[in-house]
Amino acid sequence: MAIPGLHLTQIGSSDFLLEPLRNLNIRDQDRLLENITSRLQQARAYDSARASARSGSESFRASRLYYDLAEQALIDPVYYAWLDTLARTVRAINVEMICIHMRPTAAYALAQFMRELPAFETALDISGWKRSGQ
Amino acid sequence: MAQQLNTAGLKLAKLLKLQVGSISETIEKEGQTLFGGSNNLLGSDEITDFCIEFLQLLVALLESKDPHDDASPQFHALEMYFNNLSKQILVRGGRVEDLVRYIQFMQRTLIEALSNDKRVTVEDARAMLLFLSSLFNELILAVFQAYLDEKERTVNAQEAELRETATPITEIWDGVLTLPIIGTLDSSRTMLVMEALLNRIAKDHASAVVIDLTGVKNIDSQVSHHLIQMVRAVQLMGSDAIITGIRPEIARALISLNIDLSNVTTRASLSDGLKEAFRRMDIHVSGKVA
Repeated sequence: MAIPGLHLTQIGSSDFLLEPLRNLNIRDQDRLLENITSRLQQARAYDSARASARSGSESFRASRLYYDLAEQALIDPVYYAWLDTLARTVRAINVEMICIHMRPTAAYALAQFMRELPAFETALDISGWKRSGQ
Repeated sequence: MAQQLNTAGLKLAKLLKLQVGSISETIEKEGQTLFGGSNNLLGSDEITDFCIEFLQLLVALLESKDPHDDASPQFHALEMYFNNLSKQILVRGGRVEDLVRYIQFMQRTLIEALSNDKRVTVEDARAMLLFLSSLFNELILAVFQAYLDEKERTVNAQEAELRETATPITEIWDGVLTLPIIGTLDSSRTMLVMEALLNRIAKDHASAVVIDLTGVKNIDSQVSHHLIQMVRAVQLMGSDAIITGIRPEIARALISLNIDLSNVTTRASLSDGLKEAFRRMDIHVSGKVA
């Protein structure tokens, strides 16, 4: 089942890539959050069952959700609130959100109004993420 | 009236063709005085070519359907000719005043040539003078436009160079950028540095940035906030920001301004900052044992 305005792809064993599309409507936040968490849980449950059948033990490593911001030229307080809420929501199901490919203009704008640390982590790209293992 | 002007234009073209030799010689001589010889702005052959081209373009305009139409290709060609001539002279260090004087001299030469011909009637002379006056006004405007364009280009180039030298961002290792800031940091400079740094991170895919403040003399409340914003923006892009070389005065100022440095990695010197960046990137530098 596709999520309107978003493209969610599983990468690796328990990581996911979330690419927002042009028609993403963040005003429909509640439905989007439900869809995303439900998709993440389904995929993790399937993986966990498969791993368990194969090795007899389950993996409890937190999954990662990479949010691709490459197409987002600017992040305003509304969009930031969406990212923050999404990060907090997925954290509730043991998924860590990492924003990747943030553009200089977006980082500049976000740094202007951000008052505290965001709920999500940031990385240059998927391969650039290294802090989760620390 | 338009018909009269067109007829006058054709008559002027005829007159120009008849006296082309003397007109060309006169304006060429003046061109040599203003731009050639010791002034070294244009070569002798260049001046000759320019004079011939000018007269050709002027005759083409006078023989066109409507010489007063400033949207005609002939008019545009003449305008471009002066625009290019101006750029060439200005780039070589010539003065715009000399160019304007030269254009006025050209106009005077043409009017004198007109007065030498006894066949020109008073009405024709009036129409021709009107035409020449409006045409040369337009050409002077084209010269000023070129002058302004050239000035703007120079100012932009100087600004770009200043920006470049004010923010010497160097990739000291694969994925490690250093930014030594020297002098006084004000808000506009901090903004420029931030813009350049963020673009460079995106371009070079830098994992760590070491910002060295050893050369910063003083810092105020606004700038310290900008500095923290810069660090935050670097972190948001996914890079590590390390601030080094905070002098005691700067440290005291930051504390008295209640700047929260808890999320900022700081090191005493640039070399310590680089070591920290290497450590985070799991890079080991070792001396070769002889």
